[in-house]
Amino acid sequence: MSFLSQASMLTLTGLRGLPKRRGAALVTVVSVAAVVGVLASLLAIREGTSIFSPQAARTDELVVVGRGARNAFQSVLSRDAVLTVEGAPGVKHAPDGRPYAYAFSLVPVDAVKKNGKRGTVYLVGYSSGVDLVEPDVKPIAGRWYRPALHELMVSDPIRKMYKDMDVGSHIKLRGTDWTVVGVFSGSNTLGDSLLRADADTVMSAFGHNVYQQVNLVLDSSNSLSKFKSALNDNPAIAVDVKTVADDFAENFGQLNRLLDFVAYFVGGVMASGAIFGALNSLYASVDARRREIATLRAIGFNSGSIITSVLIEGLALAVPGALLGAAIAWLLFNGNVVSTGGLIFHLSVTGHVFIVAMVWALVIGLIGGSLPALRAARAPVATAMRAT
Amino acid sequence: MKYFPLLWAGIWRKRSRAVLMLLQIIAAFLLFGLLQGLNSGVKQVIAKTHSDRLYIASSVSTGDSLPIGMLAKIRSLAGVVAVTPRTDFGGNYAKPNQFVPVVATDAATFARIYDDLKLSKGAVEQLRQIRSGGIAGVAVMKQYGWKVGDRVVLQTAIPRVDGSRDWAFDIVGTYDVVDDPVANANAIIANFDYLNQARFTDRDRTDLYVAKVPDASDAARVALEIDNAFANSDHETRTQSEGDLVEAQLQQTVDLNFIVHGIIGAVFFALLLATGALMMQSIREREAELAVLKAVGFGDSLVMALILAESIMLCVFAAACGLGIAASLLPLARNQIGIAHLPVDVLLLGLAFAVLLALLGGSAPALRGSRLQVVDALADR
Repeated sequence: MSFLSQASMLTLTGLRGLPKRRGAALVTVVSVAAVVGVLASLLAIREGTSIFSPQAARTDELVVVGRGARNAFQSVLSRDAVLTVEGAPGVKHAPDGRPYAYAFSLVPVDAVKKNGKRGTVYLVGYSSGVDLVEPDVKPIAGRWYRPALHELMVSDPIRKMYKDMDVGSHIKLRGTDWTVVGVFSGSNTLGDSLLRADADTVMSAFGHNVYQQVNLVLDSSNSLSKFKSALNDNPAIAVDVKTVADDFAENFGQLNRLLDFVAYFVGGVMASGAIFGALNSLYASVDARRREIATLRAIGFNSGSIITSVLIEGLALAVPGALLGAAIAWLLFNGNVVSTGGLIFHLSVTGHVFIVAMVWALVIGLIGGSLPALRAARAPVATAMRAT
Repeated sequence: MKYFPLLWAGIWRKRSRAVLMLLQIIAAFLLFGLLQGLNSGVKQVIAKTHSDRLYIASSVSTGDSLPIGMLAKIRSLAGVVAVTPRTDFGGNYAKPNQFVPVVATDAATFARIYDDLKLSKGAVEQLRQIRSGGIAGVAVMKQYGWKVGDRVVLQTAIPRVDGSRDWAFDIVGTYDVVDDPVANANAIIANFDYLNQARFTDRDRTDLYVAKVPDASDAARVALEIDNAFANSDHETRTQSEGDLVEAQLQQTVDLNFIVHGIIGAVFFALLLATGALMMQSIREREAELAVLKAVGFGDSLVMALILAESIMLCVFAAACGLGIAASLLPLARNQIGIAHLPVDVLLLGLAFAVLLALLGGSAPALRGSRLQVVDALADR
């Protein structure tokens, strides 16, 4: 008999015996489901914050902040500095001569969530070039804000999470009434965590006389060094130039690494527990069939096919567990909107998460099957035949 | 106690199974210890805060500043013992990755409010005389080898009137923190006036006011009074006690409770099934032995108790191992979460869970064992 038919016959008898070992088999399925469920949920958080990772950033967009500032909050850019940056050589220009650049001033604002808790959102005042740099931002309800009128637009997740954020609502900030005039979508990256308004209006309402950051697009990627040196050589301003990707790496790298660590550490400890469970279950399965396996070996079945059949049985227990776990994580969390420290993102159980979780499950099944498989293949035939 | 050898033999009847089960339970309780330890560590930090300190910030958000002119009005309110402006910033010392925090404040009042700080002798008086002075924490002094009398320059993000962003501080004394799980003495306490006069932006504004009330029980009332005093002005305030503030900050990062409980729930559910199934398997294999015990005079309830005791022994022993490993790992995270050891209540909760797990997982096998008919069980052989 060929290796394949031997292995498949053994696997079939093994699987037919599963109902007899219902308890142990169920344990393996449930422990794998628990591992995959938790791992997939934690990775879904990480997948959500991947919009803040350097890979997600546009490659042609640059960020200019005050020298030494780690992020926009610490940064200070005077109006003169903003003009110099926008006028620097290498900045892309529209046919009408406007530069592809905008400056903004941002204020963290407390807002009340629909569940009554307080959360932070960012009110960002944009200067006029924002429509060129971020052409995808469009109102999906209502309209754009107008300058000088204390009007603002909210993102769709903010509208859903917070009180008084619908079109037509009024919010009071530092004694001033602001009207929500629109809901926007299509902004990249941080856009979902923002309230958008006009820069001058925000700055006068909050008594700021400086901007915090300039975002711009270059006319070609070759212009970067020209642009940088023009700014560095200008003694009148002190700014740092970086790509959006660098900016993300600096500001969110730690968060992303922490989330990765938590997901894989917790997943790892749980997986080791599940491996012990799977080992136990498959040892039981092999032990129950000791005489049977010994008999088969005595009549000429080779060890390879025995090992293969036990490994396949391990995988057959792990795969349904993994599917169950991933399905639970998907049902509970996929698409949930989370807000943390003013950042808003969606939990997403993506194909990538699913594949990682499946791979883990298969590894658990394989390791769980390997030692029992070896035992089955190695036990001396004579001893095993005498076993009770 | 005389049954101990019997229990012991029962657990180790099949060595590989016992070891795997131990490892599985250990892994679960290791995770429980770490996660629950983190969670209650965070709660301990909150509980340790000083509730007689009030932090007065703009109601718009903690990132928005307040005019310095509010100081006199806050001071005049009944129940406020002391109040000082406080603006936190910081800069890099010598290298870009050597960040040193700076607290700009009125040092004399600050020392009164944070009365647990250990200040070197005469530091506050010195600071009052030297405008550009700074009281540096002993940790940061040691880290960079500073001495009292040194002039330290930090590259900050705050521009000065002269266009530079470098701020110099003359070290006039040191401070240290005592018995504080979170804070390290790693900052420089500087004069608010020095910052205020030399800065280019946000002149005459402070990020926060910190006030002291006579007693923690007054905190809520005084906080409300302060907020009412500025209601409907163009700088409305939100006043929180130190505990509220720390809690809000920590909860903002993640909904820790939810995540921890979710994971632990999944782990224990899987573990419960595993122990139950394995105990059942073990009992099924030993039916003949149990029948012999009954034949020589062991009662039904004694057999049941023996099976449960075996299950408890296994679970509690493994749980203790897992919690022990967690306790030795947790201190590694001290800097992030500020707890030095696994809280005792987590240990006790873990052991209680272990007993519960053993009872739930062992109940069905124990019942089966106690109902065992001697004749049937022996006849099977």
